[in-house]
Amino acid sequence: MSLVALVAIYLRSRARPTINVSSLMLFEEVPAPVAKSRILRVDLLFWLEALALAAMTLAAAGFYLLGPQPVGRHQLHALVFDLGAGMEAVDGRISRLDEARRRARALVSSAPAGDAFSIIGYALEARTLFAPSASRNELFAALDKLQPMAVAARPAALRAALLDAREAATIDIFADRKPAKEVVREARPDGRVAVHQVGQAADNVAIASLDPGVPRSSPGHCVLRNFSNRPVECELEIDNNGRQVMRAPLIIEPRAQAIVTFRPLAEGGLLRARIITADALAADNERYALAPAIAQARVLVLSPDADSRDDLARIVLAINPNFVVTALDPVLYPSSSAAGQRFALAVLHDCSDAGVNASARMFIFPEPRLPGSKRPPLVPVSGSVAVAELESRQDSGPLSTPALLGPARIVSLPGWMDSLARGAPIGAHDSLPLAAAGRNREGEVGVLTFDIRNHLLLDPDRLDALVLTVDTLKRMVAAQNVKVVATGSFVAVSTFGAATLTAPDGSTIALQQDQWGRVRFRPLNVGRYLISGGQHEVAVYANYYDAAESDLAPSPSAPELERPVQFAAPVRSENYPEPAGVLLIAVATLLLLAESALIAQRAIRWGVRYV
Amino acid sequence: MLATRAFDPEFLQHLDALALGTKRARTVRAGRRSVGRVLGSGIEPENFREYSAGDDLRFLDWNAFARLDDLTVRTYRAERQIELTIIIDTSASMGVPQSDDKLGLAAVLGAALAYIGMGENDSVRLAAFSGGRRGPRLQTTRFYQRRESFFAFRPFVTGLKCEGDTRLSAAVAEFLRAPHHAGIVILLSDFLVSPMDSENALAQLVAARHEVKAIHVMGDRECAASYPPGAYRVRDCETGELREVTFGAHESELCRRRVEQHAERLSSFCARHGIVYSRAFGVSNLDAIISREFPRLGVIA
Repeated sequence: MSLVALVAIYLRSRARPTINVSSLMLFEEVPAPVAKSRILRVDLLFWLEALALAAMTLAAAGFYLLGPQPVGRHQLHALVFDLGAGMEAVDGRISRLDEARRRARALVSSAPAGDAFSIIGYALEARTLFAPSASRNELFAALDKLQPMAVAARPAALRAALLDAREAATIDIFADRKPAKEVVREARPDGRVAVHQVGQAADNVAIASLDPGVPRSSPGHCVLRNFSNRPVECELEIDNNGRQVMRAPLIIEPRAQAIVTFRPLAEGGLLRARIITADALAADNERYALAPAIAQARVLVLSPDADSRDDLARIVLAINPNFVVTALDPVLYPSSSAAGQRFALAVLHDCSDAGVNASARMFIFPEPRLPGSKRPPLVPVSGSVAVAELESRQDSGPLSTPALLGPARIVSLPGWMDSLARGAPIGAHDSLPLAAAGRNREGEVGVLTFDIRNHLLLDPDRLDALVLTVDTLKRMVAAQNVKVVATGSFVAVSTFGAATLTAPDGSTIALQQDQWGRVRFRPLNVGRYLISGGQHEVAVYANYYDAAESDLAPSPSAPELERPVQFAAPVRSENYPEPAGVLLIAVATLLLLAESALIAQRAIRWGVRYV
Repeated sequence: MLATRAFDPEFLQHLDALALGTKRARTVRAGRRSVGRVLGSGIEPENFREYSAGDDLRFLDWNAFARLDDLTVRTYRAERQIELTIIIDTSASMGVPQSDDKLGLAAVLGAALAYIGMGENDSVRLAAFSGGRRGPRLQTTRFYQRRESFFAFRPFVTGLKCEGDTRLSAAVAEFLRAPHHAGIVILLSDFLVSPMDSENALAQLVAARHEVKAIHVMGDRECAASYPPGAYRVRDCETGELREVTFGAHESELCRRRVEQHAERLSSFCARHGIVYSRAFGVSNLDAIISREFPRLGVIA
């Protein structure tokens, strides 16, 4: 290309001279010439420039020359570790990850001294934890630092890890379960991948779920699951805000689950269930839940539709029977005695929140901004659709069958709100938010964009809409200083300032707020995370349970993927490409010097003007 | 640069004795007062007439009303108040050929006319237009009336640069979009645009009730088409369009004929529409232009 450009430049410079004129209209009557442009006549300067340009182009392109191979060239190896929760399982006295470390050390020790190793870990995603290096001390130190996470290892993460390791001559995967053959072969069809399956069959009992029930009203439930092939005896303890609720020994049948019911809690707050007896995996032996507060709280329900008011009041009372609900028509609200009161929650169906004094606001089928209204709406409405379908929820993913809803508003969610559920207008593919929640400086704000008229929430065929409504309402009335989340999920907490995160192991890190005053983090271990920022603290309790990852029964080994550890000896007689950039630049410099000398000679002889 | 000559005291001395004649001497009726500057010292009473609805009550003659019981308003004859706007084309074509310095010629002529206009205390301003990416770019100075203020035009005149294409009618439309009063507009340009465009521009000015004077500025080399014989590629400096030509004596004659045709067409259009047309062909003819073409523009000694 550069040579072509040079020829073009020469052709152009040798072509007929160009004169700038004020307008071509003055030359309209001048006939076009018959003769064509002159043909390029190359001279010595042209050839010198062409050769210099070619040399520089090749140098810039990274031109290589084949040369004899230097003796002692070494290979790169990748050690890929599964860091899912299963690797924390203890077999006998050491964990599966420890076993993997031991095998990796042995493998590294048997490799030629100059070979380089990298360490890549995967669970939710893949990360290079140790860049390729031949230093054994640094490598062993990096191996010691590997920590399992209380999350399930995902096949996609393994794929990404293998992709990261594609430059390596050999890849060794250390995992407690057999990876899919397709994943391995996709990554390296040449068979240079070895799988080292670690771990023996182990007994494990996990807490699958914990339902606090309603304090002083309905009992709670705790579900335990035995993943071993024999009956297991364990002891379950449940406490509420530190006060013991129950402690009971249980025997659970092989590969079965037990539902433990406990009496209604005396008060709301944090509920913790834990299996006291030790088993192979500790991460799933503890689980947290939040019981609704029993203190009386005032809830305002405003709706222009009497049936909707009635439905919403029932649902609010079902969530917490201690709520004192005031249901009113929005037209009558300003003149009612409720207008001056402060509420813990205001549920506003198809009306605005003007004049409402509440700690949390839940907009249902939010009202578009009316002309003349001074205050901009918290959730701007940009349109409506006649019929919408609920397609997916943030926490549970796509629904098996989309739930048909009624009319819905199209809203523009502010940045501080998180979408909780999405859907689409019937017959269209445009995704729109159907539920969202967030917190601003005024308090919690939630929105359900679909209309609930005609007893939609009580329709048994549209149970998903009711569940979504209840979950969103629970989120509105939940304590703001305590959250219970699943490990691996992103947690956003509104601190409106920089914050410090204290992990369950006591380590602390600083978190920076985003533009909406939220700090975000991702709990990867079970236990209590404490966020201290501004003038308050928020405790986040992380739960872990994954049926596949917690199942520590042995999976058949993968002999077809196993290969004996072999490291290739350095080959002495191999052609090896050497970069030729320096040589080419030297040649180009010489050529340019020769050209300069020629030009200087001509300038001295004929004058600068004629060069 | 030639433009700086416009501020040379010796050059200005030659212009001191000249005055700008005009067909207009705006009489502003008091009852129809539309500009503030009409009132004030030096306004001569012109006549009386009967009051009619809408007339300014400040001009009602209360003494006459007291005596005669008739509502009468006074009308005044204002001092000559003419807005003189001199518009200079600063498109890229005014800078080509560079040796011709057409822009310098246009600038010095424009400044000279401004100086002459200010001798009669007329409100004078300079304007320049060129083509931009987003349409015509029109720059104007504020109005100045007194010759003491003439040097306020110096930064504007010496700062003129050739750029962009010539969008004559669009520039005139932009000029007319601003609030204005009918006055004298002198347009200095090479008019190297399509005849339709230049005629449209001049017609717009006439339609806006301006007294229009067009000064056709061309360069010496441009008029004479004096290029050395040979093959060339000519490039339009505004459009970038290229054309291959071979120059000789015959071709130069064709170019000169084309310039003449262009000027003739413009001249006849101006004559039909009551526009004063004047040629300013070549910097070398500057003194002759002032002495011969300025009277055509209404400049009287």
